[in-house]
This record gives sequence, structure tokens and C-alpha cells, in this order.
Amino acid sequence: MIALILRRGALSLVTLFLLASFIFFATEVLPGDALDVSLSADEIANMPAEVMARRKAELGLDRPILERYWGFLGGLLRFDLGRTIITRAPVGEIIAMPLRNSVALAGVTLLLALPVALAIAMAAAQAKGRAVDNAVSGAAIIGYSIPEFVTGLLLIAVFAVWWPLFPATITASTNDPLGVLLAAAPLAIATTIIGSVAYLGRILRVGLIEVMAADFVERLHLSGIPRWRIIWLHALPAAMIPGLSAAALYAASLVSGVVVVEMVFAYPGIGAELVRAVTRREVHVVQAIALAAAICVVLFNLLADLGIAALDPRTRR
Amino acid sequence: MHWGWMRRGVAVAEPVLQVRALCIEWRGADGRTNRVVDGVSFDLAPGATLGIAGESGSGKSTLARALLGHCRPGSAITSGSIRLDGENLASLSEPELARRRGRVMAMVPQNPLASLTFHMPVGRQLEEVLRLRAGLSAKAAGLRALELFGQMGLPEPERLVRRYPHQLSGGQRQRVVLACAIACDPALLVLDEPTTALDKTTEAQVLDLIRRLRMARQGAMVIVTHDLNVVADICDQVLVMQHGRIIEQGAVGTVFSAPREAYTRGLLGAALRVEEASRATHAAPGPTLLEVKGLSFRYARPSLLRRNPLGPPILDGVGLSLARGEVLGVIGESGSGKTTLGGIIAGLLGGEATAVRFDGRPLPGLAAQRTREQRRRIQMVFQDPLSSLNPRRRVGDAVMRPLQLFRGLERREAARCAASLFEELGLEAALLSRFPRQLSGGQQQRVAIARAFAAEPDLLICDEITSALDASVQAQLLDHLAMMQRRQGTAMLLITHDLAVVWRMAPRVLVMQGGRILEAGATEAIFRNPQNPYTAALLGAASRAARAGQGVLAGTGDKKPL
Repeated sequence: MIALILRRGALSLVTLFLLASFIFFATEVLPGDALDVSLSADEIANMPAEVMARRKAELGLDRPILERYWGFLGGLLRFDLGRTIITRAPVGEIIAMPLRNSVALAGVTLLLALPVALAIAMAAAQAKGRAVDNAVSGAAIIGYSIPEFVTGLLLIAVFAVWWPLFPATITASTNDPLGVLLAAAPLAIATTIIGSVAYLGRILRVGLIEVMAADFVERLHLSGIPRWRIIWLHALPAAMIPGLSAAALYAASLVSGVVVVEMVFAYPGIGAELVRAVTRREVHVVQAIALAAAICVVLFNLLADLGIAALDPRTRR
Repeated sequence: MHWGWMRRGVAVAEPVLQVRALCIEWRGADGRTNRVVDGVSFDLAPGATLGIAGESGSGKSTLARALLGHCRPGSAITSGSIRLDGENLASLSEPELARRRGRVMAMVPQNPLASLTFHMPVGRQLEEVLRLRAGLSAKAAGLRALELFGQMGLPEPERLVRRYPHQLSGGQRQRVVLACAIACDPALLVLDEPTTALDKTTEAQVLDLIRRLRMARQGAMVIVTHDLNVVADICDQVLVMQHGRIIEQGAVGTVFSAPREAYTRGLLGAALRVEEASRATHAAPGPTLLEVKGLSFRYARPSLLRRNPLGPPILDGVGLSLARGEVLGVIGESGSGKTTLGGIIAGLLGGEATAVRFDGRPLPGLAAQRTREQRRRIQMVFQDPLSSLNPRRRVGDAVMRPLQLFRGLERREAARCAASLFEELGLEAALLSRFPRQLSGGQQQRVAIARAFAAEPDLLICDEITSALDASVQAQLLDHLAMMQRRQGTAMLLITHDLAVVWRMAPRVLVMQGGRILEAGATEAIFRNPQNPYTAALLGAASRAARAGQGVLAGTGDKKPL
């Protein structure tokens, strides 16, 4: 098991290194440099050549590409993500709070959505093919296939306009304490929970139905083992295995920013920050956010792999 | 009082299990019902052992589950009664049944390989039954589990309890399941196909264990099987089922020595026996077609650090030669490397390119590197016909494809050719337009054989082609295979763990163990006078089961206690 953790960990680091390199070359090198990208065509045309050269030198863009690449990698090792082009502020500071806010939103969502999805999946699997199951499955497909901006706008229309229980958009600002921020964002949280419950519930239901028909479940049933015990101790761990990878990727996508939800509710998360950075052509911020998203995906994948190894002794070696 | 004594005397002989006019129906998605158990009645006395025999689909497994009051979702007991210790299981509620399951009646389900929870150590699974069903404390359950594992003949119980099911062999898993079932010493123990998934030597050992349990226990036993050798070996009563009905029942000796029904006679005749003279005919030795010299094989192990680390040897210096039109049997237990050997010759696994020569020329390791002509000349039939046929294509298309691909026939011509192949294999032409799932196992396997012969191969590799089939279907299939082989003059590599198949089909045989060839020569000589102790053990295991069946057939069935 320890060997497996080390092996998967090493593999994750290699993946991250490749991803970082890809992000660097894709954003900084391929179509012109960071300065070209962050300026409009008019600005470039009107800027005197010596000003342009000075600004390139300030940003270090006059150095050869490999040197900059080493500088970028070295900066990553020191957790130095560079500075923004316009305000010269450290990128790390700019993305830290939005990242915290997005992680908080994802964490609260998963914490609330997982038990609900589990309960729904178990109810549906118990009554497979009957009215309860059909209703739940149908609702899950609808919940999963409606885009989040539609769910979000519907929630706003109902709970902020017709029946003004909650504010339509979030009044808290980026650096407020988490409690204040989350208390101001019930509709945003509800939107992500609806999507998550539908997605996770579907995965768990399929896994459970398959496992409940397995031979070992029938043997336990025929030995008179209580049903709750069969489900919790025997079936559920087995049912989670096939869905774990998909669920982990879903969780990673939540953490790395639900752009649409953050925009609809003006939630100050990493997704909103990414949109702002792209419109302002802040290459280093885009790089940092892309890297943060990549780390999320790799990390959750690693957790899913280790979770599978913990649940399924056949995959351990 | 005199009468009271008489009544007690009767009460002792009173059956523990009484089944009366039992009917079980399945309801399909379209609302139509299908009666799979139809008016079944029988009695079973305490300590008696009943064998329920019949082919797959005869309703015997459904009946076995009903003896524990369980019907799978979609099926239900529609009429009749099952009285166990005087209580009608058909009228008990689910919680009432749950209280009795494991204690009063217990089951060893069909597939021991999948019947244990794969993510839990086997010791904990037995302890769970002991704690929850036998009411032992955690500590007592742990000790009792070790004791039971020892009684089941499991090696090193202290270490084994911590292992996971996939780390145990098939026979060991079956012993664990058996231990769970007898943990509370139930009055009725139902075993559903207890040895079907096991190889011959393991089967004999597990049967030994079941026989010992039978002697040691007071309770009654029901054994569901398609293998009449098992019934003859262990049971004292037999019940033969067909299409959900009992067509014959009585003492094993009576029924087997004078079967009244044609169906029973067919089942008995189909149980192939080694004692008959070999029917395999010796073909005149032709020129060498296939030559394998010093073939070794290991699987690569995925690893980050080394480039090509290798696993343990699966094949180790294997050599053989096969003449045109010759049939060569390859026998051995599971894990002996016989399937790997077939896979390498078929080009499925890769392997050393120099080790295999076909028709005088070296044969590339992978099918993709071989010429189309080489691929046509070597065909293969697999163990599981259903998974070797594309479920979305009609079986006619499956047979026409090699005709069009290898022989360049037009579609209409290919269809005619496929129909005549079907006819030769005893399949109706109407089946051509069916999908694989709509055929029986025997029909599916004949389609796979038709597909292989459609390419007019020079070498046909058959890997355990009968082991997924019922006994009576096996015999038919082998007859058809032998006929096609003789007519086309195809050489055949017959890989099997079933000695009877080799005895019947192959004049020459190789015995494999641990990736090596232990013994090779004429089947008759090796079977009658094995030189190697492993071969002798393999043969002993098979013919003991067969002899027991024959002894009963001859009316001299004796049940010797152990």
C-alpha cells in the first residue's frame, strides 16, 4: 500500500511538471509573448519601439525562451507565480482569496450533496424499476442536464424576486471572512448542490443496483444477515469503486471554479477571477489559475486512485 | 402408553422437509409469466441427501433458492408449500425468513468465486455469520472461525483468515463458503452446483469434504448439479428435473440402474466415461504442420522503474509437433499454462518469434504481423461462446465474414455457404438471422465452430470449448466437431481439463503442469499407465468420480463411510 502511494505520488508529480510546462508554452510562447497578448493592436501600433523594448525588459520578455522557462519553473518551486503586467502586484496574492472562496464553496457543496445523493441513490436502488426509482432517476437526469445558469436564474426568480427570502447577488466582498461570504450566498450554494446531487446520485445509484444483484449479496441475504448491514458494510464500499474516479473529477471541477455560477451570483471565486484575468489579458494570472486547476484535477485523481486501492484489495499489489 | 410410543416412532422418521405441489413463476417485462418450477413435490428425511439433477434451465437452481424461502426479484411462489420443520416457508414474512436463514436452513450458492465479498478478509466474513447468526462473542467467533477453517481442510487458518477472497484458489473459496453455511449447523443445507467451477482434482477434494460433512452432520442436504457423477458419488436419493417438472425420482441406485425416462437415459449416457474404449481414430501421420521448440513465456509487469520487468514464467521450454490432420490433446489443471500455449499459437499474446514454425516457416508472434493466409489457416474456438460472438451482429453475419474476407465470396454465395455449414453442424437455417443471445449455449458454441471452419483452416485451436456446456450438449458438440475435423482434414489442438474429451477425440496427448510438459504420448498408453505422479493424480481424480457413477449404474452402488 505504501509502495502504491509513493508510486502514484511520483506519477502525479511527473504529470504536474508536464502540465506546468504545457501551460507555460501554450500561454507565453506560441502566439507572441505576454506583452503582445495583453496589449490591443492599437496600443502596439502607437507604442514607440524603445518604450516597447523597455517594457519587455521589465517583464523579462527579452530573455531567451529556455531561460524564461527555467525562471518560471524555479518560481513555481518557490511558490512565486510572478507579477501582473498592469499593476505589478504579486499573482499569488491576487488569486489566494478567490481560490479560498472557491474551495469553500466546493467544500460546502460536497459536504451537503454527498449524504443527500447517497440517501437518494439508496432509496432508488432499493425500489429499482418502481415509482420512487423512476421519479428519482428522472429528476436526476433533469437536474443534471439543465445548465447551471438556468437553475441559478430560476432560483433567483423564485427566492429573490417573487418571494424575496435571499439576496439575488452576493453582497460580501472577496476578502470577507468565509462565514460572512457563505451566509450571503445561499442561492449560489443551492445551485451547485442541485447539479452535484443529480450527478453523484446517478453514479451511486447505478453502482448500487449492480452490486445489489451480485452473488455475494445474495449469499449474505440467504445467510440471514440484516439488510442494513449488507448495504452499508458489503454493498456500499463495492458500489463506490466504479464511481469514485468520476466523482473525484467532478469535485475537482467544482474546486477549480464553477465559472457560470460565480458569474451569475457575482460570487468572488477563482472562476470569476479567471474571467477577469482573461479580459484584461493578464497572462501570469491565467497561468496561475490554470495551474491551480491542474493541481486540483491531479490531486483529486490521486485521492480517487488511493480510495479505490483502499476499497478494492484486488487493485493493490 | 403403547400408542404414544408408536407415534414417537413415527415422529422420528418424519421428514424434515416436505415440498408439496410447488409452483414458481417468473414475470417478464412484457407481463407474460413463465412457470419455471411446476408442481414439484418431495420429502426429505433428516440426515438424508437428495440430488436434484437436470440441465441448465430445468428450474433446479430456482427450486434450490425457494428451499430457503427466497425467490429472485421478478419471480414468486404462486402455489404449493415448502414445510421445513413443520413451518410453511411460502407463507412466512421476510423478517421471519431472515431469522431462520443461516440457522435452520443455509445455502452454498452456485459461484464460489463471486460469492464472497471481495473487499473483506475471508475470516471476517465467517466471523460475521458466527457473531450475528450463531450469537457468539467477537472473541469466541474468532476462535471458532479458526476451528471451522481447520475442519474445512484449509491450510494455515491463522494466516488465511486475513487473506482476501481473490488471494485464495477456487477450491479454498468454496471451503470458506461451506464454512459460512454450516456455521450454525442448519437442519437443511442446500448446495447449488458445488463443484462446477472447480477443476478435476479440486472437485474430488471438495466432494470428499462434502461427503465427510454429510457423515458428521445430523441435518439433511440437497445438492443441485448437472453432473450425475456427483449425484452418484454423494446422494442417496435423486430427483431429475426437466422444464420445471420432476420427471423421475427415487433412490439413486434404482433410478440410475433402470432409468424410466428417455431424458434421464440421455443425461446418464452423456456423462462421458474414461472406462470406455477410446473412440479417437488414428489418422495416418502426415507431414509436420506445426512445430514448437523451447517456447517460454512471461507476462510483462507494468512498472515505472524498469523497462521490461517480467513476471514468473507461464511457459517454460515447451516443445511439440503436430502433423497435418492430427488431433492433439493438451490437458492440465488451471494454471498449467495450457491456455497460454494456445493463445501464443493463435497469435493473441505475442511471444518468441523463433519458437513456433508453421508449415515449415517461422510464425510471427502476433496475429497482426502474420499474413492474411496464415491467419486464415489458423483458427480458434474459445471457452465462452457468448463473449466470443459480437452481440450486435446476427450469427449468420459472424459466419459469413470469414467466407467473404478469406475466401472472397460474394454476399449471396457466402450466405449459401454459411447455411450449409449450419446444416452440417445440426443448426437450423432459421437460426442464421438470430442474435447470439437468442441461442442456447450449445448453439452458440456450434456457431463459433462454424465460423472457425468457414475459413477452411489447417489448424484449429479449441480452448475448453465444452466446459461451459451441459453434459448432453457436450457429447453432441464433440460429435459434430469430430465430423467436421475429419471431413476438412484439419489438425486440432484440443486444450481442456476434461480428460473424457481428450479420451474421446485425441489419439495423442500432452500433460502440462506449471508451464512445462510432463508427459507426452499416445492417449491410450498414458491414460492406462501414467508414468508421472501428477498425471496419475489427474487421472485418478477424474475416473474415481466416473467409477462411482458406473458402480451405481451397475446396481452395485455402495456408500462407504469415511
